[in-house]
Amino acid sequence: MITEAALTVDLAIILLSATLAGFVAKQTGQPTIIAYILVGIVIGPAALGLVEVGELTELLSELGLAFLLFLLGIKMRIDEIQHVLSPIVKISIPQMIAIFLAGAGVAFALGFGPVESFLIGLAVIYSSTAVVIKMLNDNDEATSLHGKVDVGVLLVQDIVVVIILAVLAAGQPDDLAEVATTLGVVLVLVALVTIAALAASRTVLPRLFRRIADNKEVFFLVALSWAFLFVFVSDNINLFLAPLGIEAYLSIEMGAFMAGVAIAQLSSSKELQDRINPLTDLFVMVFFVSVALDLEAAQLLAYWQEAIVAALVLIPIKFLVFMYLLDWQGFDTETTFLGSIHMIQVSEFGIIVIAVAQTAGFVDAEVLGFVTLLAIFTMAVSVYFIEFRHPLFDRFEPTLSRVTSEGTFETSTREYRDHAVVVGYDDMTRNALPILADRYEDIVVIDRRVDHIDTLEADGYDAVYGDARKATIRKDAALKRADLVLSSSADPAVNKALLREVGDETAVFLEADRVQDARDLYDSGAHCVLMTAYLSGNKLAEYLRAYLDETEALEASIDDDVELLRSEKSIPDIHLLGGEPDE
Amino acid sequence: MSELLTAVSIIFIVMGPFLVVANRFDLPTVPFFILAGIVAGIGMDRFGIDEALTLELAQYGIALLVFTFGVGIELSSVRSVLVDSETAALGQILVVGGLGIGAGVAFGVPLSEALYLGIAAALSSTIVGTALLQAEIGMDLVHGRVAESIQFLQDLLAVLLLLVLSAGVLAADPIAEMLGYGLALLIAAVLVNRFLFDAIGRLAGESSELMILGTVSLLALFIGAAEFADVSIVVGAFAAGLAIRHDPIEHLGLVNGLQSIRDFFVAIFFVTIGALVVWPFVEVGWAASVDKVLIAGVLVFLTAVVKPAVTTAILLYQGYEARSATLTGLNTDQVSEFALIIAIEALLLGALTQSVFDAIILAAAVTMISSSLTNYYSDGIYQVLSDRGVLKSGHDKIDSWSEVPDDISDHVVILGYGRHGRKLVDACEERDRPYVVVENDPARRDEVRAECDAVVIGDAWEPYTWEKANVGDARVVISTVEAESLSRRILRLDLEPDVVLRARDQETALSLLEEGALYVNVPALLAGRQLVEQIQAVLDGDLTATELREQQLTELESYTHTSLGGSADDTPSVRP
Repeated sequence: MITEAALTVDLAIILLSATLAGFVAKQTGQPTIIAYILVGIVIGPAALGLVEVGELTELLSELGLAFLLFLLGIKMRIDEIQHVLSPIVKISIPQMIAIFLAGAGVAFALGFGPVESFLIGLAVIYSSTAVVIKMLNDNDEATSLHGKVDVGVLLVQDIVVVIILAVLAAGQPDDLAEVATTLGVVLVLVALVTIAALAASRTVLPRLFRRIADNKEVFFLVALSWAFLFVFVSDNINLFLAPLGIEAYLSIEMGAFMAGVAIAQLSSSKELQDRINPLTDLFVMVFFVSVALDLEAAQLLAYWQEAIVAALVLIPIKFLVFMYLLDWQGFDTETTFLGSIHMIQVSEFGIIVIAVAQTAGFVDAEVLGFVTLLAIFTMAVSVYFIEFRHPLFDRFEPTLSRVTSEGTFETSTREYRDHAVVVGYDDMTRNALPILADRYEDIVVIDRRVDHIDTLEADGYDAVYGDARKATIRKDAALKRADLVLSSSADPAVNKALLREVGDETAVFLEADRVQDARDLYDSGAHCVLMTAYLSGNKLAEYLRAYLDETEALEASIDDDVELLRSEKSIPDIHLLGGEPDE
Repeated sequence: MSELLTAVSIIFIVMGPFLVVANRFDLPTVPFFILAGIVAGIGMDRFGIDEALTLELAQYGIALLVFTFGVGIELSSVRSVLVDSETAALGQILVVGGLGIGAGVAFGVPLSEALYLGIAAALSSTIVGTALLQAEIGMDLVHGRVAESIQFLQDLLAVLLLLVLSAGVLAADPIAEMLGYGLALLIAAVLVNRFLFDAIGRLAGESSELMILGTVSLLALFIGAAEFADVSIVVGAFAAGLAIRHDPIEHLGLVNGLQSIRDFFVAIFFVTIGALVVWPFVEVGWAASVDKVLIAGVLVFLTAVVKPAVTTAILLYQGYEARSATLTGLNTDQVSEFALIIAIEALLLGALTQSVFDAIILAAAVTMISSSLTNYYSDGIYQVLSDRGVLKSGHDKIDSWSEVPDDISDHVVILGYGRHGRKLVDACEERDRPYVVVENDPARRDEVRAECDAVVIGDAWEPYTWEKANVGDARVVISTVEAESLSRRILRLDLEPDVVLRARDQETALSLLEEGALYVNVPALLAGRQLVEQIQAVLDGDLTATELREQQLTELESYTHTSLGGSADDTPSVRP
């Protein structure tokens, strides 16, 4: 029978202490991940013993991981990473092999057994997606060349981690042949899931999401439904394969990731990122806190000296390996340096790999403690290096350019600069587009209707699907470097956000419903705030006067307006005046 | 993977197709969550998972639902709703609630449980109601606004009810104690809002991750406090909402983030409710099922027929004209999500038996769907009722409120007294031309009567209103109302004078022109034209951005000074 379900105290403690630690970390410039892990250590059995892993915390941390990979999947737009794809693959494969050897070697030298060293090697090859992407986003460098290369390499690493997780989770193998079989089955399953996801992204999903894209709530929940479908199938894969006599395992992370990749290829994916992000933040927090909740102090600190030594060895090795490989691929000195310095830490996935290995009985909890410490330590150090990357580069540039070769890599995409940004495609902004097109090379239009996006793209504009209330969407338009911003949103919140993010020289045209809003917007730096209701009210009154005076001018103006009405077809199938924008 | 994750997966997988269907037919999502719950319940049984497992997650859904309600409250709107005559519509709650309790007792339900039937019958759903009226609220039509404030007041009342009901017994002392705790929570909320929230915002800086964590932590603290005081967590969540109530402009990321978290947990809540229902004829025997269905049927009747009728009657009595009153009434014809919350809380406390709980949930699912149908056909329903003479539209109200000189002729009929209407009145007065303002919003009645020479307070849908405005002798009719249905209605009336209309978009405007309008005003298009001129000037270098700014500021000042008496800003902004 049902009983009064009191909300768990555990979760409240986790939430409150993580928040507290998060704020402290923010003030001291540490990444929040570190704070969360430390909180787990402090409130967990290792120190205070306030909290144990309960059913709800377990769920949320599982969801955190699944959502993190789903989110990562959503970011995998194949057309966006295509031009750096070849160098990325050429960098990441040798990098992983080199770091694996270094990591396993260091572990072995520090006295770990062969299996342990092997797994530690596997655990340290990834750089931290959470740290790197967060730092890139914070510094607005995600779309820079080194940002793209780093993101690409991280994605390749993530695919590898997913496969490794699947193999590890299958449990203790009896012999090499079994490992091979497991690997084979996993690869086939991964391939099948990939094919299913990509097939869906070409067939069902575009139609489905086009239909629901205009309802934000439904859109979001159906996307989650899609993700959970993959999570569920991956998790219960044995159930489906049992009749065939095959035993296999697919990680829920793999499922979530592929579900995300399928959605990534749709134009609405950007919007979804922003919707998933907050949930992911919340759940991933629980995940990081619960990482250490299973660890006793003794287990965590069993190898603390080894962890420090390993960190001190691995950080420079990672840096040098990346330097060498990026230089080999012909990137210029600065890109090489910046691309490398971001990637020197050990990833949270390393902890997951070892955690799964521990669950499967390959290693002891102490090894998990070792890798956890290693990850915490390298992440903390790397954050400082990333923070001071520019002074460091200036300092070492002369030395570096002597050892690195000339940059030969041509970047094919350019960044927006001195462009125009238009928020909202409607009766008001539509007529302004051709005029802007005469003047600007790039015009970015943000709109949240799929049919508008199609029209805009057909007319040669850069269209961003999404809600301008979302930070990611605004970021995509590179407001800071825009020469002109035009918004037909009457929402003061959106317009204020735009004003905060534009550059000093940007001319800003906005819309407002109320005089007070308009005044606020002018105070915040807007150049022109259109007030549709007042404008048309004045116009209408003007017409009425002319009508009452029975002047001829009225007929002319009315004909004019009617002409304007008739001259253009209504929005979805409109062809703009003034021809195509210049390319 | 834990059992709980399997349960959540099943919930979401089942929910997806249901939502697609709801979206396909433009129906509210809540009843489809409940329907998905039935299927998910069966799915969970197959996997041997107890539905109650997701109950804790569902509680978070409840908390977040109420929390975001609290966040969205603007104190100024509370005040304006309270001073409006609209509070009288709350009389509806007493009447329908009383009938609900009475019907329950008549069917042999004990009084303590019949109380919940009364609550379920009386409260209407904000989520469903406002979703159905989105366009009307956006255009600031009377029935949209009235329906919105009725629902808002009901939600406030629901929170109060939850507070009182957490006393467990209907005795003065425990209830007073609960009210005391509730008050304490509210005071804490105000203090946090004043002193702590800004500090959190400052410390979080640009990080919306920390902002969201901070807010969710506050929610957890308030819920914890509520639990500690043995008050319903809903009250704690509501107080927490008030505590972080803030200008969304500064914390856009927070608002968006909370929306995602809310949608996630609220979906789980509604589906869980569906899964908890013991379905008649499927899972229980014949006799119990008949009973359950009977109670649900009575509840549906009270909600879908009696409640709108009572609401309409009260509004008519207050002087709203027949159409606005009927459409508002029709918008209240469903069971509220708050009634669901109250029901589930009562079920958990053991104050409600499974069969009454099931009846309430069933009635909610049915009425939420039927409500979208009645709202879709609301104009037709009104027409039928009006033709049958059910809605006695006495002309004495219109006559007593309206002031039109008998001999008025060659005048201008102005429909609506908003920003456009005022400008037009100005123009007429300037040219010394007689005019009649037609306004149907009782809230604007006094203002219009004070400021205009000739007014008709009545609905433009009614021929009598036009008769009253002596439209036959008028020179021109200018409508400032954007609603397309009204524009078409005006054209169909085949009025003698020229007709000028307003439309939201070009397509509508063109078709209205074809149907005989002299001119159709599309504000966005006019604004667009001015915009183009200004952009051109800046791009050509005729004007620097700074000069444009100066020029615009001067023009802005002219907006504020030209309006007749009062502020020009009386029209609420269009909600996003």
